[in-house]
Amino acid sequence: MIGFLWSRLCGLDTPVRLRRVESTRRVLSLELNKDRDVERMHENGINSLDIDPVEGRYMLSGGADGIVVIYDLESSSQTPSYTCKALYKVGKGHPDVHKFSVETVQWYPHDTGLFTSSSFDKTLKVWDTNSLQLAEVFQFDGTVYSHHMSPLAVKHSLIAVGTKNPKVQLCDLKSGSSIHTLQGHRGEVLSVCWSPRYDYILATASADSRVKLWDVRKAAACLITLDQNNGEKSKSSNESANTAHNGRVNGLCFTNDGLHLLSVGTDDRMRLWNSATGENTLVNYGKVCNDSRKSVKFTVSRGCSPEFVFVPYDSTIGLYTIHSGEKISVLRGHYNDVNCCVFQPHFQELYSGSKDCNVLAWIPSVREPLPNEDGEKSRSQVHLHPAFQDAWSSSDEDS
Amino acid sequence: MEPTLEELVESLTTSGEPQLDPEKFKQLKKICKSSDEHIKHVYHLLMTQLNQNHAEIRLPAFHIISELFSRSHLFRTLLISNFQEFLELTVETDHDQPLPPPQEVAQKLKHLAIKTIQEWHEKFGEGYKKLSLGYHFLKQNKKVDFQDVRIRTVAERKREEEKQKRLENIYKEKAKRAKREMEEMLEDIQSCLTEMENCFSLLLPDPEDFSLVNHEKDDGDGILMKNNSLKPKSPQGGDDDEQPCCSKDLPQGAAPSTELDPKGEGKVESSLKEPSDESDDDFAPVEESFIREHGLGSRNYTLNIEISTDTKINANEDNRDILNSLIDACKLAKNKYWPAVQSWIQIFTKAGISDDSLRFAIDLKKKLEGVVKKQEEMNIESKTRNTKAAADSDEDDDCFEEVPEKEGYEPHIPDHLRSEYGLDAAPKPTPPARTKRTRSRWRKRKRNDDESDPTCAAATLKAMRDKLSAITPSASSSGEHRSERAKREEELSRAPVVPFGIDLHYWGKDQPTAGKILKFSSQHRFWASNDIEEEVENKEVEAMLKTRYITFPGKFEPVTHKCKTPMANGSLCERQDRIKCPFHGKIIPRDELGVPVNPEDREREAKEKFERQAQEQDWRDPELMREIEQATGEDLGSSRCPKKGQKKKGKKKKYPNLTDLTQNANTSRSRLEKKVFNKGSVKRVISAMNQMDQRRHEKFANQFNYALN
Repeated sequence: MIGFLWSRLCGLDTPVRLRRVESTRRVLSLELNKDRDVERMHENGINSLDIDPVEGRYMLSGGADGIVVIYDLESSSQTPSYTCKALYKVGKGHPDVHKFSVETVQWYPHDTGLFTSSSFDKTLKVWDTNSLQLAEVFQFDGTVYSHHMSPLAVKHSLIAVGTKNPKVQLCDLKSGSSIHTLQGHRGEVLSVCWSPRYDYILATASADSRVKLWDVRKAAACLITLDQNNGEKSKSSNESANTAHNGRVNGLCFTNDGLHLLSVGTDDRMRLWNSATGENTLVNYGKVCNDSRKSVKFTVSRGCSPEFVFVPYDSTIGLYTIHSGEKISVLRGHYNDVNCCVFQPHFQELYSGSKDCNVLAWIPSVREPLPNEDGEKSRSQVHLHPAFQDAWSSSDEDS
Repeated sequence: MEPTLEELVESLTTSGEPQLDPEKFKQLKKICKSSDEHIKHVYHLLMTQLNQNHAEIRLPAFHIISELFSRSHLFRTLLISNFQEFLELTVETDHDQPLPPPQEVAQKLKHLAIKTIQEWHEKFGEGYKKLSLGYHFLKQNKKVDFQDVRIRTVAERKREEEKQKRLENIYKEKAKRAKREMEEMLEDIQSCLTEMENCFSLLLPDPEDFSLVNHEKDDGDGILMKNNSLKPKSPQGGDDDEQPCCSKDLPQGAAPSTELDPKGEGKVESSLKEPSDESDDDFAPVEESFIREHGLGSRNYTLNIEISTDTKINANEDNRDILNSLIDACKLAKNKYWPAVQSWIQIFTKAGISDDSLRFAIDLKKKLEGVVKKQEEMNIESKTRNTKAAADSDEDDDCFEEVPEKEGYEPHIPDHLRSEYGLDAAPKPTPPARTKRTRSRWRKRKRNDDESDPTCAAATLKAMRDKLSAITPSASSSGEHRSERAKREEELSRAPVVPFGIDLHYWGKDQPTAGKILKFSSQHRFWASNDIEEEVENKEVEAMLKTRYITFPGKFEPVTHKCKTPMANGSLCERQDRIKCPFHGKIIPRDELGVPVNPEDREREAKEKFERQAQEQDWRDPELMREIEQATGEDLGSSRCPKKGQKKKGKKKKYPNLTDLTQNANTSRSRLEKKVFNKGSVKRVISAMNQMDQRRHEKFANQFNYALN
């Protein structure tokens, strides 16, 4: 660290380098920290989390009890330990609250004045954050598994919606209507994801174990159907031809640069695809336990030098490097299946929601003071929490 | 030699004892203390033990864990990093993974684990985030009530609630039904109650009715009084015959009783000087009524009325019907209504209904109980009285057994003739038979025997009775006869009762036609000559007609002795066979300890025992047999061999102190299953069924339906 600072001071390194190094270190040292708590608001499992992309300060959470909560992740108090307060709540008392489990919540990418939520009650609702009023409702004929708005598009304001219906719906916020359907899947659409690189590129994952890339301007058919075997017929049996996984595909996530696409499926695999060519990069992540019937939201880190992916793995969260597939660490803390996790890029924090009704904050651990002298070392020992001390009784000594 | 960590952990966890062996545990702690590596190792060992499917292994493992948890930071971090699994294994957070049997130990483990986790949370919760998260998870998600001594998970609680609800519904339904039933039955019960009340009031008037004299009131329950002194109170009671006890009389009798007093006073003045005369006809008309009413000539002298202390209800013709109906009603109330009301009350209280219906039911029950009690108090005596009266009616002159109507007896006495009969003019015609009886009773009470008065009906009765008694002894006049008769009776009592037959018909006589058969020489009915009749004697038929078969089964005598052979479990054989016990052979007399009483028996038994042992030890070496069994897989009965075999078994089992979980499987059901689903029997059944099928096919082969398959 000192070395990096020095070389930055001397102008040997670019600022990016220092930032990358530090954020990588921080990501690697993520841990469950007693300094940060998230207020417990949900009575049931948490299905979806989203942090606003503008400030990185406000977090949305959608629970299986139909409730949507807005948290403030920062605290006005200067103390290091605080609890993230829930600012607003679309609770049971609200006239427009979702009747059934909220599956996905998302902020409007350019402003926190608007957010969207979709639910098993077959609706997608658009909310005005400030008045907490319902702005728009889209009705569908099937339960909504997932929806997504393009994070960078300025020319359109389309929401892609994956429902029980194999057709992917495109809803336009401008006109307030469902304007378009994308046909091609044969099973329910579990996950949809816009490319962060191109305005009109959309990836969809379905229970028919296929992942398709679409250009929404081209209505006729999809661009690419991802094939796990890269078209090598000899390896694939007829059934697995043109499939991305051998089970339901229930999670999609683009890397930050939009060049690669990650997908997870109920075959307990995670795959990395080249989003331009649709090629399977054949990175081996090992087993990624996944038996969810619904969509799984996972996330990637931003601004680290090898980039990382955080994937729910039963009741834990697995931390993998994206391109080498190496499992770096496992974050343990939940007591039931983890449904979603979201990365806060500014402070390298991770928030995860689980079926056990908890939202846990994973905070980079504080750098331990460097041991200069023996005395200082002993003092640091004293500073340790008493709970961390061993307590071998003296009676044990005698034996 | 120091035991290794693995050995220590294994021996500690498989001891099967509720507490840890302190010596061994000290050694374990010592090893753990020495280095972090050891702690890691012991953590993994303990987790594997905790994963065992036996609650008696998990419990001591948990004990060790809790001890180490409080001591080592490293151990805490290790355990907390895998806290979820730990919870699953000890607190049963995952319903798909229930705690292993035995059940009690599992419950104990769960209880202890929850308590310990709470303690940990209090002590270390600040330092270990995940621990407090786990605590809150248990508290909020699994709804573990840490205060609750009985730990119940949500599911259990829900189940219980549902059960409660279901029960409540059932109770409500029952209560509704009971209500309906009650409404239906209410009328019957009410009518029964009123009937009984009326009967009571007829038999025993209320104490309020005895307004004449105080002392009469006190022991007013005497039925005699009712019949004697009370009844005449009625205004119509100017005649001395008594009113029949019917319901309409009583209120009438009760009401005027008050206004009777002043009238009585007036009479007393007039009749002061006159000595009372009991004979009915001698009274002046004014006094007459007084006497009719009170049975006294005057009010001025005291009259001691002897009332027998044992109050009896004399069952007579007057009140027989009343008594009968009372008894019937009481039976009905006791056997039908009371239990019904009782069950309603139970149902109502169970259902938690406390409205009018419950109150009403309780009232009903009280009423019924009171009525039944009343009936019991008075009726027991009447019953005994009844039976007694029936038994020796001859001695009871004042009792009212049915007497044949005497000649010249007029059932109805015309009014103008009543004075002739010593009766007063009656406003209502009443049966004179009753009149006579009541009169006679009345006289009895006054110790005034009128039987000598020939004009009285009672005298006639007595004469008739005397006559009757004179006739009966005449039948057995001579002493000789009597002894003969006694003898005969005695023999008769001994004689067996047999069905009537031809042999009895000719008892003591020769059977003239015994064994004789008419034989016709010709087979033809018409052409044969009529007079030729041949009689042939047949010995067999004769014997058949003369003999009688009497089966003599004897009397069944229950066996009183027991086998009493000492058994392996220390008790004595309880079988009660007549001669031979199927297990222990011939039954011989034994004392309380099971030792034969006769010395030769004892000797024989000892010899047999010795022989049996010698035989077994000879060729049945259990170990050898077991080996052979293992090799061949056949049961030679080595398990039946005593002593040695058992020791061997204990060695075979890995952890003798743990509860054997497989033992539970040895139920009657499993044994039956073994028999029923055993391959051979299944095959046999299948083949039998196939055969049946085949037969049907053969039978109906010409029907295309069967020919097809």
